[in-house]
Amino acid sequence: MIVGEGAEAQIYSELVFGKELLVKERHAKKYRIPQLDLSIRRWRTRNEARIMSALYEAGIRVPRIVALGEFTIYMEKLEGRLMKDFKSGRRTALQCGKTLAKMHNIGIVHGDFTPANIIVCNGNVHVIDFGLSGFSRDSEERALDMLLMKRALTRDMYVAFERAYSRSSKDQKAVLKRLAEMELRGRYQSRTIA
Amino acid sequence: MAVLGIESSAHTFGVGIVENGRVLSNEKEMYRIGRSGMIPNEVAEFHAENAGSVISRAVSKAGISRKDITGIGYTRGPGLGPCLQVGQLSAKILAKKLGVPIAPVNHGIGHVEAARIFSGLKRPVVLYVSGGNSQILKLSEEPFRHYKVLGETFDIGVGNMLDTFARAIGLDPAWGSTVDKYAKKGKYIELPYNVKGMDFSFTGLVTKASGLASRHSKEDLCFSIEETAFAMLCETTERALLLTEAKELCVCGGVAQSARLKEMLGIMADEHGVRFGFCDNQFNADNGAMIALVAERMLKGNCSARIGECDIEQRYRVDSAEVFL
Repeated sequence: MIVGEGAEAQIYSELVFGKELLVKERHAKKYRIPQLDLSIRRWRTRNEARIMSALYEAGIRVPRIVALGEFTIYMEKLEGRLMKDFKSGRRTALQCGKTLAKMHNIGIVHGDFTPANIIVCNGNVHVIDFGLSGFSRDSEERALDMLLMKRALTRDMYVAFERAYSRSSKDQKAVLKRLAEMELRGRYQSRTIA
Repeated sequence: MAVLGIESSAHTFGVGIVENGRVLSNEKEMYRIGRSGMIPNEVAEFHAENAGSVISRAVSKAGISRKDITGIGYTRGPGLGPCLQVGQLSAKILAKKLGVPIAPVNHGIGHVEAARIFSGLKRPVVLYVSGGNSQILKLSEEPFRHYKVLGETFDIGVGNMLDTFARAIGLDPAWGSTVDKYAKKGKYIELPYNVKGMDFSFTGLVTKASGLASRHSKEDLCFSIEETAFAMLCETTERALLLTEAKELCVCGGVAQSARLKEMLGIMADEHGVRFGFCDNQFNADNGAMIALVAERMLKGNCSARIGECDIEQRYRVDSAEVFL
């Protein structure tokens, strides 16, 4: 059963040994030549898996990987609601800030950190979709993670988010400075990030 | 209502005449770029020398006389300052002489609207790819009607990237299309592929590819750089289509003249059941008709400028221009 479709991958749920798993499969794109297509899909699948396991081992809440194929990741299914689908409170925002800070502290940036990629289950924040993530300690990329949340959250929620981030981050000064710079750049003034 | 449009943002001085969305004439003179590239003042001088004759030619080819002209449009930006000034001045003189209203047009809107109108689409996602610009756009009504930038290049436009590369490996001028020609006979070499959401970056690609010049054939490099760059554009455009749930797509700008890029976008659009359109190559290259086309709509929407207000803006962003449908 297909549960989600992104630009580059399909997500479906599958019963494996009586347990329901989520499968993320990167499908072929006919518009690009096969060599390029294979290398992009192979690299991204591997990269995403590497990031997810690094986060899991660091104790950050992400879906656990069960098995890995060339273009597919099998992971546990989280039962919860997407943060974008309900009115979440300050507590959730605080948790998001802390989680993002922890990710950045171990040198990982998410690349698409928005309420559409956060699942709250049993009151706990879990992060999903690492398709655009990478290993990076660049303040610019960290600030981009913050910026996406700033655009998506209400003011009060963002204030809580940023406070929690600053408390847990080891590099909050540089990130917040870069964030302020980014917002002043021409390209972001007239641009709202969806 | 015949509107005359003047385009002079870069190496083309173009004049086009449009009547109710129909192109009556589209004339141009192009500055020949030698190995040195474009020197703004020299190009501007070239434009100044040719302005009079191109305007006369456009009027006579359209089969009208000067007094049939009811409005003037000119490129306000973005572009090279000295070049823009020539078009601006010609437009102001004409408007003053004929006593008709004048509309300052955004160059990018010219390309986008020409492609959208001539391919019969309503509210498509637009991939605008030229020398200096590479953007993914979609109409938005808030806070005023404009093309919102969904994604764009972090550094240089795809056209400039291909030009820089072609010069680095020693191809002949008219670089972009020369790369396209060589690409037909090449094999694939892996090159950096850089996308981030709906944004993309080309400098890593061009640096790497130029550095490989001594180790690979020109054909292989041209093929690979083109495939890689176009795949990046297709992927980000695809993401924009899915995000906005748009059912229409069009491509415009100088690089849209590439058959391969159109083929790739067509395949991608087909997979999603999206209608794909583009316009004739004469409107993808810089031209005056697209400026006239937009100016006509602006004037119909009562968006004209007083002659004293007609300025140029070298960094006139596409998303800061109001659009009149």
